[in-house]
Amino acid sequence: MRKFIVNVNGKQYEVEVEEVASNTTSTTNPTPIVQNKPKIEQVSPQPKAEPKAEPKPQEEKKEVRVSEGAEVVTAPMPGTILNINVKEGETVKEGHLLIILEAMKMENEILAPRDGRVASVAVAKGASVNTGDQLVVLE
Amino acid sequence: MKEKIEKLLETKRKIELGGGEKRIEKQHSQGKLTARERINLLLDEGSFIEIDAFVTHRCTNFGMENTEANADGVVTGYGTVDGRLVFVYAQDFTVLGGSLGEMHANKICKVQEMALKMGAPIVGINDSGGARIQEGVDALSGYGKIFYNNTKASGVIPQITAIMGPCAGGAVYSPALTDFIFMVDGISRMFITGPQVIKTVTGEDVSQEDLGGANTHNRISGVAHFMDKSEEDCIKRIRTLLSYLPSNNLENPPAYQSEDDINRMEEKLNELVPVNPNKPYDMKEIIKLIADNNEFFEIQEYYAQNIITGFIRLNGKTVGVVANQPKVLAGCLDINASDKAGRFIRTCDAFNIPLLNLVDVPGFLPGTDQEYGGIIRHGAKMLYAFSEATVPKVTLIIRKAYGGAYLAMCSKDLGADQVFAWPGAEIAVMGPDGAANIIFKNDIKNSENPMETRQEKIEEYRNTIANPYIAASRGFVDDVIVPGITRPRLISAFDMLESKRETSPAKKHGNIPV
Repeated sequence: MRKFIVNVNGKQYEVEVEEVASNTTSTTNPTPIVQNKPKIEQVSPQPKAEPKAEPKPQEEKKEVRVSEGAEVVTAPMPGTILNINVKEGETVKEGHLLIILEAMKMENEILAPRDGRVASVAVAKGASVNTGDQLVVLE
Repeated sequence: MKEKIEKLLETKRKIELGGGEKRIEKQHSQGKLTARERINLLLDEGSFIEIDAFVTHRCTNFGMENTEANADGVVTGYGTVDGRLVFVYAQDFTVLGGSLGEMHANKICKVQEMALKMGAPIVGINDSGGARIQEGVDALSGYGKIFYNNTKASGVIPQITAIMGPCAGGAVYSPALTDFIFMVDGISRMFITGPQVIKTVTGEDVSQEDLGGANTHNRISGVAHFMDKSEEDCIKRIRTLLSYLPSNNLENPPAYQSEDDINRMEEKLNELVPVNPNKPYDMKEIIKLIADNNEFFEIQEYYAQNIITGFIRLNGKTVGVVANQPKVLAGCLDINASDKAGRFIRTCDAFNIPLLNLVDVPGFLPGTDQEYGGIIRHGAKMLYAFSEATVPKVTLIIRKAYGGAYLAMCSKDLGADQVFAWPGAEIAVMGPDGAANIIFKNDIKNSENPMETRQEKIEEYRNTIANPYIAASRGFVDDVIVPGITRPRLISAFDMLESKRETSPAKKHGNIPV
């Protein structure tokens, strides 16, 4: 399965497409032209009944849900979680060491951007993270 | 005659009141000062001389013929800062909202041209609702002339802008063309299109503060260079900045009598950098330990914090510092850091400020967002700016210096006049881990205990290659020094380089990959 982001009328959809090996004799031709088809088919049931503007508020809601009164600390660069220095429920001051992220051969200290309580820790020790991945949610 | 003098004084008093007491009160209630108060704070006491106070608009559209606009909404003139000539203009929000019309613009252009002729810095204080719509294309033309003058003066005289109120639409481009932008938290707003337009076009809801406040432009966009809590602090900081800058590109920055011992040893420097190359530390501590009186005037403190830029003094003379910050993003170079450093290097070069480069860089930040964002094009700006700079360039390699990033931090090959290294420096094409994997690929693969062999090979590589002595044996490093004596050695190097003369081939101008 491969994931694609498809833009339809300005709306973004994430779709999964299964690739069929080129030498099999399947009825669905595995040429790039046909590859597009399943995408559209998969997409079309979703927005059918939706008026044009609806996907947008949905996206906004998602963001608001996380950030309402809370602040998400994200990974500044791809790397591995070397150590988690806080527990859920712990109160921290600005500059408190939250997580050590090993990246670019450096033990990068991820610090609390402000005072708050650790609402959740989104990663486990040893996990690999990408830029922008959630690490800690502060309340 | 007496009557005439009385009348003159009366008129001047009236002009100095700007938009009247009510509006001045309103300005104060928002935590803002008036244009004249700002100028008086900026300049040495009693030194301000106003010009063009009597200028007013000549618009007759839409009832404008009956609208009075004292000084046409902008106060212009000159004075001194620490005894040095500075030109100044400050938009007066109490007069027609500080809106820019034809004559308003002409007044600004006049002081711009004077500053350029006299070779003196110009400070602009922006507090304006935007173009005076009644004046139509005349107002637009006004902006255009200001931009043109900004560009002509660029690199000749220091141009400083303080945003002390709204600055929206085309108006943002005059500040953007100047060398330094100051913003005040909660008061300054800068954006091309405001929240309402954004709402209609994209549906996004964003507040003015989030869109174009001091925090946004200091932390996210990198448009601004400084952020302060109050207008008073901001103006104080402008005065400090001016103390580091020459009046124009033909002069050197002012030199001061240093109270700090030029031979000061700093034992702390011998201990400050962790032996384990994977441990971060705060590069700013090193900068402060080296500098006169431990003072560091940082520029763009909140933006791209993986690189540090700012001014220090060594033996009383201004030095521009470009330093990697291992504490942030491992000190990697990325798109934003390259832009920040590239601009700073050129600012220093334009104004005869020598450069000190403190290197601890593991490389360029990997990632698709960096490649798609054009790190090649942006990183090239640093290489270009360093190569192009003819001011004295001294590079000190503190710890890591790997690959292209080593070059981008001004290696010998990019024209560094002196390169020093601390004994812990690792100068190589890449880090020991990666290099060992490639060079000793077969040894590791064929080993009975690959993990152990790999560690051995990493150590072998570190000992033979990743140290300062190979580079020193080729002359890429002029000397390996004890960290504690860094300050005297740097002062001696800049002293030696003071008479440096270097000419570039004659050309119209280079073609920096912007």
